[in-house]
Order: sequence, then C-alpha cells, then structure tokens
Amino acid sequence: MNRIKRFVSQLLKDLFNDEDKKELIEILTTSLEEKVDDLVEQGTPVDEAIDKSINEFGDAKDVLEAFPDKASLKTGIIRKRRNQLLFATFGYLLIGGLAIFLNLTFINFLDGFKWFVIVLIGVFFWPLSMLYLYLMAKK
Amino acid sequence: MISSDVIRGHIDTIILKLLLEKDMYGYELANEIKQRTQNKFDIREATLYAVVQRLEARELISSYMGEKSLGRKRRYYRITSLGKAYYREMIEEWRLLREIMAAMLGSDIS
Repeated sequence: MNRIKRFVSQLLKDLFNDEDKKELIEILTTSLEEKVDDLVEQGTPVDEAIDKSINEFGDAKDVLEAFPDKASLKTGIIRKRRNQLLFATFGYLLIGGLAIFLNLTFINFLDGFKWFVIVLIGVFFWPLSMLYLYLMAKK
Repeated sequence: MISSDVIRGHIDTIILKLLLEKDMYGYELANEIKQRTQNKFDIREATLYAVVQRLEARELISSYMGEKSLGRKRRYYRITSLGKAYYREMIEEWRLLREIMAAMLGSDIS
C-alpha cells in the first residue's frame, strides 16, 4: 500500500498548508485503500486493483475542484514558484559573480582560461528549472 | 454525462443526503453516487474525498473507524446535527431554485 501513500503525497505536493494537508492525505489514502480492498475482495489481483484505483482517482486539479476558494490556492502556488525563481536567480548571480571575481583576481590557473564560464553554465540549470516550474504553475 | 462544473456546488448536499440514509465509507459514497446517477454524473474520486474532508473540517459530518470482517479497518462518516440543519437549508434553496427555473423555462424543461 506504500504506492498509494506515495501517489497521494505526490498529488498534493504543492497544494495547501501542512495542517490541512495532513488530514487530506489521511482521508484520500484511506479511501483509496478501501477501494483497493473492495476490488481485491471481488477477485481483482492486488497490483491490478492498485493500478485501477490510482488511474481512476483523478489529479490535483480534481482535488482543487472541491474547494470553492481554489483560486487563492492557485495564487499561493504561483507566489511560491515566483519566490523560488527569484531565490534561484539571486543565488545564480551570487555564485556566478563570486566565480568571476575569483577567476579574474586570484586563481588564474589553466593559462588564463576563463573557467568561470563553466561555473556559469553549470549553475544555470537552477534558475532555468525554477523558471520552468513557475511558468507551469502560471498556466 | 454532466461535468462537475455545473454541479460542483451541490456535491455537499449529495453527500449529506447519502449519509442521512446511513453511515458510509469513502469508496462506498463514490459507488453509491455512480449507481444512483447511472454514471451520468462524472465526479472524480479525488474531488469527492476532498469534499468529504472539507465537510468534516466544517463539522457537518464526523468520522469513526469501523471494524471490517477481515483485514483493514474502514473510516465511516456520519452526519452531525449541524450537517442535518445545513442539509435542510440546502433543500429549501433547491425548492426555490426549482420554482424559479420552472417559472422561467416552464414547459421547456419538463
């Protein structure tokens, strides 16, 4: 039944604050397990029952349907993603700046090779992935 | 098949009605709705259980763990007196809505 718990936690990952979430995870998990039990009782193999239950369950959007003030929840996710994006950009500039500074002032090995470029490209995945998550949330 | 958009505000009432008849566990509720509406009302279980959680948070229903003959326990829901009062209010609203729609659309919808 661990698959069910994992599925539910993944489903609610970015929604709700922790207090509401605990209760919701509990209820969703229990109800899914009840369904699996019922299906197994009717003769379905366990794995198949779990697959069926998870497939028929619905997604995060369906969970939000239940909350009339879901607009504010969505705003919450967008705000969170934007903060992550800002943090990532800030961190990127900080690390990049430090690399450039060290490269040009102190550590000039590799015959003047501008190794800070590698750092800049390497760390770029961070703001980039956050930008992606932000745009996904906004959509 | 009706999408949940139209009926979203009334899932609460439907659940309360079912629990008024007898205590049920989550999946039982889902099944009951499916059967009674002959699959015309396409509600996802994700939505249904989330509504159940919301109703419990508002103390319109409460839950208890029931024994099952073999294996796991089930979480049953029962309607509270607050829930019953709320249900009666909703029924009043429905009557009014029906009257209004009948007065406006008349024979077209009967």
